Amino acid sequence: MKAVCLASAMTVVLLLLVTLAFRLRPGKHRVRQMLILYLACTVALLGVWLATPDDLGVLPPSLLPTPRWFDLLLGFFFFTAAFFGGVLQLYNLADRGFSLRILIDALEDPTGTIGPDQLMSRYGGGQGIGWMYDKRVQGLLEEGFAQRRDDSLVLSAKGARVADMFIRVRGFLNLDPI
Amino acid sequence: MMGWPPAIIAFVAAVAWFAVFVLVHILGWRAGLGHARWLLITYLASLLATLASVIALAASAASAILPVILALMTSACLFVIYVPAVYTVLTSLSVQSMVLMRRRGSALSLPELYGRFASRAIVEDRLATLTSSGYLAREGERFRLTSRGRTLARAFAFVKAWWRLGAGG
Repeated sequence: MKAVCLASAMTVVLLLLVTLAFRLRPGKHRVRQMLILYLACTVALLGVWLATPDDLGVLPPSLLPTPRWFDLLLGFFFFTAAFFGGVLQLYNLADRGFSLRILIDALEDPTGTIGPDQLMSRYGGGQGIGWMYDKRVQGLLEEGFAQRRDDSLVLSAKGARVADMFIRVRGFLNLDPI
Repeated sequence: MMGWPPAIIAFVAAVAWFAVFVLVHILGWRAGLGHARWLLITYLASLLATLASVIALAASAASAILPVILALMTSACLFVIYVPAVYTVLTSLSVQSMVLMRRRGSALSLPELYGRFASRAIVEDRLATLTSSGYLAREGERFRLTSRGRTLARAFAFVKAWWRLGAGG
């Protein structure tokens, strides 16, 4: 149970640190910032786990019978899941979520409504739908999945491998071929 | 397995039932049930099965508290890791772009990519998905936020402002 308590507390600390980093050191490489903070917090989690008693001074005996080594592994597992499935996903959705941005555009519209014409020209708080796709293209270029040649985008070897994997997965799941 | 500590039994039970959930979810997906409701129904069924297994294997009601908490946490952690992977396969425009490029000889002109992925059809498709999911309601040519959609939009507008992410999307 110590694992649950410490991993939860460290997730709150991580959220606070991410917030501070985003507000005080804004930059383009936010995912890298988050990963560095996650690694630092993982080390801190290990330190806190080693430095505290099994009952944390408050846990009742009924919540203690977990092997120590297993409790530590659980702590890492819960914290890692909270980061990759929670904090990082929250960031991805807030920064890259296409559907969520449509809902926010509707929220910000004085009429409280949205339409396809308006989204084409003013999606993303006035940027337009081309801007949304600019970000995707930029991401593919920055992550090394593709290169730009003249007026075309060309998959790199890494991009081709990833695309092949998704083609196989989509084929297995009987999804529409794109 | 009966000699194992309850915490390990709870973890193994949660992982095993989660594996069953993934298998059933994927089989349903292959059969055309690739929507959010199928995901939730199958996951909730696996969660109930996990709880039933852990409680059944506990020596007493009092000794079941810790295993139940650990099993719920384990299952929830696996779920939050699994769901983004599912939606990456289903909806990521970056992934779809790479797949389309690969199918067309690993290269595509930018006008063709923008014509496909920054198109009115993509916008209309997403509006239809948001409507069928209950976040928007159609009003003639326009779409109004439902109370559910407004709650979600407000929550993420707050996160974007709090983290100073800019327009985003």
